[in-house]
Amino acid sequence: MTDTVRIVQLYPVELGITGDRGNVRALQVRLERAGVPVDVVRVGIGEALPADADIIVLGNGPLSAMRIVADDLRARAAELEKFVEAGRSLFAIGASAELLSEGVDLLDGEILDGLGLFPFRVARTRDRNVGYIIADAPFGRVIGFEDHASRWTLGPQAEAAGTVVAGKGSFSLDGAAGEIVRRGESYASNVQGPALPLNPQWSDAILTAVTARRGIAWSAGDAHTHLNEYADGARAAIEHLVHSKDFSTIGL
Amino acid sequence: MMTGAPQARSAGIRYVFPVLAGKLARFATRLRGGGSAFPGYLTNRLAPTLLPTLAGQFRYGVVFVLGSNGKTTTTHMISEVLRAHGLTVFTNPTGANLPQGVTSALLADATLTGRIRADVAVLEIDEGYAADLADRLSPSVILSLNVQVDQLYRFYETERVADMMLEASKRATGHVIVNRDDPYLSKIDTSAMRGEVSFFGVSPELVAASAHGLANAADTRSGNAGILDHDAFAEVVSARGRDVVVRVDGVDAEITLPARGLHYAADAAAALTVASRVLGPDFTVESAAKGFAQMAPAYGRGEVIPLRRDPAGEQVEFVMFKNAPSLQMNLDALEGAPERALIAIDEGTPDVSWLYDVDFDVVKRIDVVTGEKAYQLALSLEHAGVEIGVVEPDMEKAVALMRALEPAASGRQTWFVNYELMMIGRRLLGHGDQEIARR
Ligand SMILES: [Zn+2]
Repeated sequence: MTDTVRIVQLYPVELGITGDRGNVRALQVRLERAGVPVDVVRVGIGEALPADADIIVLGNGPLSAMRIVADDLRARAAELEKFVEAGRSLFAIGASAELLSEGVDLLDGEILDGLGLFPFRVARTRDRNVGYIIADAPFGRVIGFEDHASRWTLGPQAEAAGTVVAGKGSFSLDGAAGEIVRRGESYASNVQGPALPLNPQWSDAILTAVTARRGIAWSAGDAHTHLNEYADGARAAIEHLVHSKDFSTIGL
Repeated sequence: MMTGAPQARSAGIRYVFPVLAGKLARFATRLRGGGSAFPGYLTNRLAPTLLPTLAGQFRYGVVFVLGSNGKTTTTHMISEVLRAHGLTVFTNPTGANLPQGVTSALLADATLTGRIRADVAVLEIDEGYAADLADRLSPSVILSLNVQVDQLYRFYETERVADMMLEASKRATGHVIVNRDDPYLSKIDTSAMRGEVSFFGVSPELVAASAHGLANAADTRSGNAGILDHDAFAEVVSARGRDVVVRVDGVDAEITLPARGLHYAADAAAALTVASRVLGPDFTVESAAKGFAQMAPAYGRGEVIPLRRDPAGEQVEFVMFKNAPSLQMNLDALEGAPERALIAIDEGTPDVSWLYDVDFDVVKRIDVVTGEKAYQLALSLEHAGVEIGVVEPDMEKAVALMRALEPAASGRQTWFVNYELMMIGRRLLGHGDQEIARR
């Protein structure tokens, strides 16, 4: 029992529009196939976060959903700050990443206050970034799909984790485009796909940190062959598409 | 540039040149095997009043069918039910649901002087263009089927799709018909509508008994994620496989659906509401049932095709899906795990994140995973615990692999496909890609 890893999906109903359950599933399946028991807890508005959560996964949703969860999320600010500060793992995509930033400047001038968990600010834009994205990160090449109308401006302490190789990305980085902001073992990004099934090396970076902190023996092995093989195939197909001459992202 | 053109809605000699030009362009693009948008564009440029003129000639008016899922099937259902009541129906071919496509389809049926001979037009319309087309075609009835998480890369936010449907609905001159079981649509502001609002739905008992309900998008805007209660003009009260009973204005219609699935039953209730509103007192449940009986399965919806060109041999059942809700509803309607299965998605569906929202529990094994998205599909199935035979992105090779399998005891394979790969699959099985089975 003590070896059970607890994964929380926060606001699965409101912020789960881009298959975000898949990020939970990837972490869960990779642990279970190595024999590590997993407990997945779905936490909604007004429900308590389990005190012993190891990983918190948050997903994407429309602006209306951001407004609906915003107060509840802000009420958890201190708890989440402690969680991230303690080096636990949090994984936020899209709308949830925006809410965990310092704030979101909407097109009509309205400001949506963030939790300040990550040191960046979001500006919603008229232009939308849609298509495949490839970014190189210390834990490997990240491949996925981006679909967001926002630009992030990183604060001085922000740690950018990925340099964009193809696609638009979420922010500027040394004259190029960047993707993924990291703080300790927590990540904020706009990579959909969902990101973790498509990027086993990113999943494993998270799981290595979690299991090391918990003192649980874990490693990817034969039981992960299919998962890795299909991810490789999917990644190769996307890279091939992106690099083929006549590929023009999405016909909008 | 044609602002001086008369606005009268009568057809006449001034349309001969634009209609002829459009028809010639249509002929030319067909020879090239190209799309059908250009002729419509050309004609709209040459005679902007032609479209309203054509639309104004339908004695029973123009019906718009909107929705994230089920437009084609429901358009087909409405058309057949109206035909069974003796009406001549004009309808647009599948996929020709953008303005230029609709114009092009109308053009094909129009005489050179801009006359059209049908009693009613039943048109599936893309949500993004519904209000614009309503301004030009003045529909008498606008039906909105459902709002589902779909095409986010195009519409960004699901609630915008609901707003587009309801905004267009304001333009219906006679009737607005919406899904009572759709969270966003159930919150329609009836006072903002010119037309009378009617609801259709599925009985709460049937929804509760369905593994994943009706899979419409939750309302993340109003604070009430669920539906508002409304009495349904037409309600599905019983569903057994393809046999369903829909209570229409107090009278039971016993009908046979083109394919299994509660979503098709809901579409049928929608179609019956439309037909009843269009026909008024001339509507009968007996004729309606006849309409459903005459309905050849639309492509990919319960259609069965021989696997090896032998009509007496093993068959392929096509199950078509376009998004998570339609795939889920089709899976929920399966009678047990399929014995032999293929699943396919092509690059026309760029973001397949939604695959992880589908509950694949009922499918134990997929023999061949194919299409340009084969590996992404396989990845999601592997995460769902579904056993996979082979991943083969090439559809032609995939079909060969399915043909090489030992024959199923059930005599049937199940192929889950998106629209484009369904057409390719049919062709590979020797069923050419003739136009959709709509008259
Ligand atoms: Zn496997």
